[in-house]
Amino acid sequence: MNSKTKGTMAGSSLFPGKLSINSRTKSTFIGWSFVITAVIMICTFYFYPMIQALILSFQSGTGTNLTFVGFNNYTRLLSDSTFITAVKNTFIYLIVQVPIMIILALFLSVLLNDRTLKWKGIYRTAIFLPAVTSLVAYSVIFKYLFSNDGLVNTMLLKFSIVPEAVNWLTDPFWAKITIIIAITWRWTGYNMIFYLSALQNVDQAIYEAAKIDGASAVQQFFKITIPMLKPIILFTSITSTIGTLQLFDEIMNITKGGPGNATTSISQYIYNLSFKYTPDFGYAATVSYFIVILIVVFSIIQFKAAGDRNG
Amino acid sequence: MKKVLMLCLSAVLFLSACSSSDSDSSTSDAGADSNKVTIWAWDPNFNIAALNMAKEIYEKENPDVEIEIIENAQADIVQKLNTGLSSGTSKGLPSIVLIEDYRAQSFLQAYPDAFYEMSGAFNKDDFAEYKIAPTSVDGKQYGLPFDSGVTGLYVRTDYLKEAGYTLDDLQGLDWQQYIEIGKKVKEATGKDMITLDPNDLGLIRLMIQTAGSWYLEEDGVTPSLAGNEALKEAFEIYKGMMDANIVKPNSDWSQFVANFNNGDIASVPTGNWITPSVKAEASQSGKWAVAPIPKLSVEGAVNASNLGGSSWYVLNGDSAEQAADFLGKTFGSNKEFYQQLVTEIGAIGTYKPAAGGEAYGKEDEFFGGQKIISDFAGWTEEITGLNYGMHTYAIEDILIVEMQNYLNGKSIDDVLSDAQAQAEAQLK
Repeated sequence: MNSKTKGTMAGSSLFPGKLSINSRTKSTFIGWSFVITAVIMICTFYFYPMIQALILSFQSGTGTNLTFVGFNNYTRLLSDSTFITAVKNTFIYLIVQVPIMIILALFLSVLLNDRTLKWKGIYRTAIFLPAVTSLVAYSVIFKYLFSNDGLVNTMLLKFSIVPEAVNWLTDPFWAKITIIIAITWRWTGYNMIFYLSALQNVDQAIYEAAKIDGASAVQQFFKITIPMLKPIILFTSITSTIGTLQLFDEIMNITKGGPGNATTSISQYIYNLSFKYTPDFGYAATVSYFIVILIVVFSIIQFKAAGDRNG
Repeated sequence: MKKVLMLCLSAVLFLSACSSSDSDSSTSDAGADSNKVTIWAWDPNFNIAALNMAKEIYEKENPDVEIEIIENAQADIVQKLNTGLSSGTSKGLPSIVLIEDYRAQSFLQAYPDAFYEMSGAFNKDDFAEYKIAPTSVDGKQYGLPFDSGVTGLYVRTDYLKEAGYTLDDLQGLDWQQYIEIGKKVKEATGKDMITLDPNDLGLIRLMIQTAGSWYLEEDGVTPSLAGNEALKEAFEIYKGMMDANIVKPNSDWSQFVANFNNGDIASVPTGNWITPSVKAEASQSGKWAVAPIPKLSVEGAVNASNLGGSSWYVLNGDSAEQAADFLGKTFGSNKEFYQQLVTEIGAIGTYKPAAGGEAYGKEDEFFGGQKIISDFAGWTEEITGLNYGMHTYAIEDILIVEMQNYLNGKSIDDVLSDAQAQAEAQLK
């Protein structure tokens, strides 16, 4: 490092114009090389497959016998009752689970941000810990916990909370509840961490000023905390929405989409179309693109709802 | 500073180059050497055990051939095959793979150039006739038939006796009579007659095959649900069992096995591959027997059916010929090998000449001295051959939902015509 820098510096004093261009091109070159690596990687592993999938979504057929069918796959979506059920299920998860999780995460983060709270670290770790467990591992554990003679039912029965065992996995309604409980457990801590870090950036002076003005804790929460966290709330609700639309592991491992197709998600339907049934990769790609469209639409709605300033 | 940057950059490039060359070498190891035969199969106690025996026999005569057996769950094999075959490269795929008969047509027709034609490697007339349709396309034989999914009615003779029945009363039953017996057994012993998983319609498949009917027309692609008499009767019987309150529900395989190992149910109508699981509960020795499977009452139905069963397939590649030779000389023609399969792992093949062998005629103490293997072998020959077609599991998922609607009171004709409409929409 030293000898070369010295050399350049000595040179620059002798031939100022020429060498500064040289070193500028050199640094531009280095800069671009870094960017190019990422760009090439992203293009080959992201954009190229995306375009291929788009082309694939206009084809249909079994396995490798694909033929172009124009928009047939897209019209087929509308009359496919399994697909419609999967979309409905996904929306139920979305509408019920995302708000519950966001509110819970917000609530927990405010509690844990309290300066007087002792052993904060322990609580934070405990609540964040689910987010580092493997999706499959925790799903399998939930499956056991919620099975007919599992821990949850045993406890509910022992404490006489329910008169008879709840069919957590085999009843269409309770199976959805089980999935919602599972994903809430897994992802609340993850979202809480975002709120916590944002809360730490909120100037305490604002709260002090509010207190002096006589604002109650509830008022402080709604008038200060929530507006200050708005960009983060937007971010977490978009990522949670995307995550829910792509929901797969939990359903595959806890209920396999059952009973019937009461818990099937769109992603699981894509899996079934490609791997469980006789593969129709073209139609599966169409369903995937439907998710892409949904995600884009939802993100736009959320940006608009949160106001452009924060977007 | 720049040097450091350059170093970082080259490190990044170098590392990515390394990792890509790594993945190259790991995917190309299969198929590169034509003397190495790689095989994928599932179930260590059954398929893998059979393969190991075949390997031993074959390697003795062909010491230069290396056979590698890899165990994977069936779902994983299906997924890996679909991924590998659709990418158009045989790299990373095995030379021999086990495929369930219900799925075979789906693979053979979806990837027409991927499979090696086996017509020359063995004589298909040596195998049970019903195995030929699922394993061939347009008269070309691609699969070497392996285990028989021939079904039997496994019964607890002690419970039946309490209800006043003997094994002789169970010959040539139809499903309606089966329900009646079930009710009596429940009255006399308090035990349920059967255990069912609402998410698995194996029993429906088994019932309609007794009548030579399937979810699809003979062409293997057109759904045949609405107006399918056999399917209608099977649905009615399924509901009849539920209404008669002789069904103990289960939600997965381990509960299914536990239900009969615990002695909670009086009969198990299923494929012969359940034998090892039944015998696993040694304390019930002598209490079991196997009767012919009940049939549907539609015309032409027989007291023989099939549930599951799979066959061997060779994938095109450098070692395809070697692989076909291996299969042909072991599973395809070795009578002794089949005797060994029966005695050592209880696997009943579909190779007809083997049925005359000594091991097939052996009495089984667990089943009260019944010669169950030779009974099964006899029923195997009566099974009506079917083209399972391409869409067994896609249609079954539709039927599972409609079955729940039916049990909740929807009329049978609506159930089947709705299922038909959904299937037609989905299988376009």
